[in-house]
Amino acid sequence: MRIVVAEDLYLLRDGMVRLLEAYGHEVVATATTGAETLQALLRHRPDVAVVDVRMPPTQSDEGLRAALAARRELPGLPVLILSQYVEQLYARELLADGSGGIGYFLKDSVFDADQFIDALERVAAGGTAMDPAVIAKLLSSGSSNRRLERLTERERSVLGLMAEGLSNHAIGQRLFLSDSAISKYTTSLFGKLGITDDDNNNRRVLAVLAYLNNP
Amino acid sequence: MRQLGSWLARVGVGFVRACVVTVVSLLVPAVWAAAVALGIWWGAGNPWSWVAPFVLVCVGTLALSRPVCRMVRFLVARWTTSVIPAGYRQAPPVTQLSTGYWWNGFSYERTSRDALLDQRWRVRWIDPANWRDLRFTAVAPLTAGVVASLPPVGAAAAVLGLSQPAPFARLVGAVGLVVAFTTAPYAWRFVEPVAVRFLRPTPAMALADRVDELTAQRADATVAQAAEIRRIERDLHDGAQARLVSLGLSLATAEKLMETNPAQAKALMREARAGATASLTELRDLVRGINPPVLNDRGLVDAVRALALDSPLETDVSADLRLRLDPPIESALYFGVAELLTNAVKHAQATRARISIARDTTTTTTIVVDVEDDGRGGAGERADGGLAGLRRRLTAFDGTVEITSPAGGPTRVRMMVPCESL
Repeated sequence: MRIVVAEDLYLLRDGMVRLLEAYGHEVVATATTGAETLQALLRHRPDVAVVDVRMPPTQSDEGLRAALAARRELPGLPVLILSQYVEQLYARELLADGSGGIGYFLKDSVFDADQFIDALERVAAGGTAMDPAVIAKLLSSGSSNRRLERLTERERSVLGLMAEGLSNHAIGQRLFLSDSAISKYTTSLFGKLGITDDDNNNRRVLAVLAYLNNP
Repeated sequence: MRQLGSWLARVGVGFVRACVVTVVSLLVPAVWAAAVALGIWWGAGNPWSWVAPFVLVCVGTLALSRPVCRMVRFLVARWTTSVIPAGYRQAPPVTQLSTGYWWNGFSYERTSRDALLDQRWRVRWIDPANWRDLRFTAVAPLTAGVVASLPPVGAAAAVLGLSQPAPFARLVGAVGLVVAFTTAPYAWRFVEPVAVRFLRPTPAMALADRVDELTAQRADATVAQAAEIRRIERDLHDGAQARLVSLGLSLATAEKLMETNPAQAKALMREARAGATASLTELRDLVRGINPPVLNDRGLVDAVRALALDSPLETDVSADLRLRLDPPIESALYFGVAELLTNAVKHAQATRARISIARDTTTTTTIVVDVEDDGRGGAGERADGGLAGLRRRLTAFDGTVEITSPAGGPTRVRMMVPCESL
């Protein structure tokens, strides 16, 4: 994959480039400020970008803004946001355009390199990958979500794992269920959420959006 | 008919008020008059006859000045919309020292009663408000007193004049009656501008009050800050720092075991990775407690919206999106909202909350944050509780907190902070 890495701390940027190259991916550009990030994303149109939220010169959410601006120009441009902390507010902003190809993780997730690369590939393929911390907060405040109340406990945990970005097979392994059981649950929860699209991948994105966006 | 009735009522009320103002403002002159009468009665030939009237005048004036001013302030506040702050000096608290003696801010006394008595006299004696009160007792009879005495004097003239058979006396009586009726609704009103002009605290007194207030605020802020720094130090020391040491230990052991027992070395490395994740989580929580990242990135409104998303309550946020305040004020308000939401969940068992952030519609230089929940109410302020902490936090910016929380709910808290930069 062709990847753009936007991160202002040298050690992290260098480590990430080395990690990605060790896994056989090509880093086409690196960026250290919000403006550079936007420029690199628009010029190189990478298969996926890894972007830090907080960047110079303001040391606020420059990276996030650059990613959102780039996705307005190039809808569906896959972006994996890596941050020191995860905020539901930011996750919702990223997912608001509904076109998928979004990931939002804590920086610690690179500690488990296999999972990190796996998430990166899913995002590049147009899926979503959310940090379990975001999902956990959503589950704790999920009581206010009326559409989700119709789901059973099991369906809700399947949706949660789906939001993290796992495949049916991986979800089945986590919940100790067969693949066919999982696909039964996914079909019924798509029905309850009123999602009827045939394209399986897009349906998953829509389900996760329903999960994240319903106030 | 109704108009006549209301006019008569106004005349009656005005007459009574005029009489009250006359009596109050003439108390001190009455003492002086009594002293003069005493001097004359004592005998003009006696060379020491001036002593008793002189003492009477001094003691009477000093003793009456403050009660007269208090009464005028009370009457003005009751009859009109003007509220005049008293501005008297407040006595500092009396404390018992480890030696058993009592310290009242001036001297050591054997008992608390002595200390209080001594303090009361000293505070009373050195209060700069005494001069203002004395000046008012001199000014009042010549201004408000003279005007307010018109109705009672007119009435007295009417009673005396109309009871005499002579036509001239009757004429005077009739004029007095007219004067009493026409001036009664208005004559007492002159006391308000006079009191506002001469009884308000002088700039020096207001400044002294402000200095006291700021000293107390500074003490509070310093204590709160020191406590916060201690908390941060403790959290770092017990949490992240200890974890990093153990991480280093695990890595050193793993390095040693690499050749002899690779399997165990691998397990130790995995443990070390988990330890690194845990210490990152701890550091993240700590940072959030000091200065939440969203607040830094986006300001108060988005930070509160993020807070609402994370809260288990169903929370509505309505806000003026263009607001951007000074960072310390934003921080104080943010932590205030966080505290109130936590209380609503923990103590009030609420299920929904409403937060509104806006600028005050009348002054526009005050930021008003309302937090309302549907919980069971009954929130009280304890000295070491969260609400008192919230008040202290906002006091540092001259902010105020209004809490209405009847038992059974709902709880409404309004935080207001003046903010010139708005």
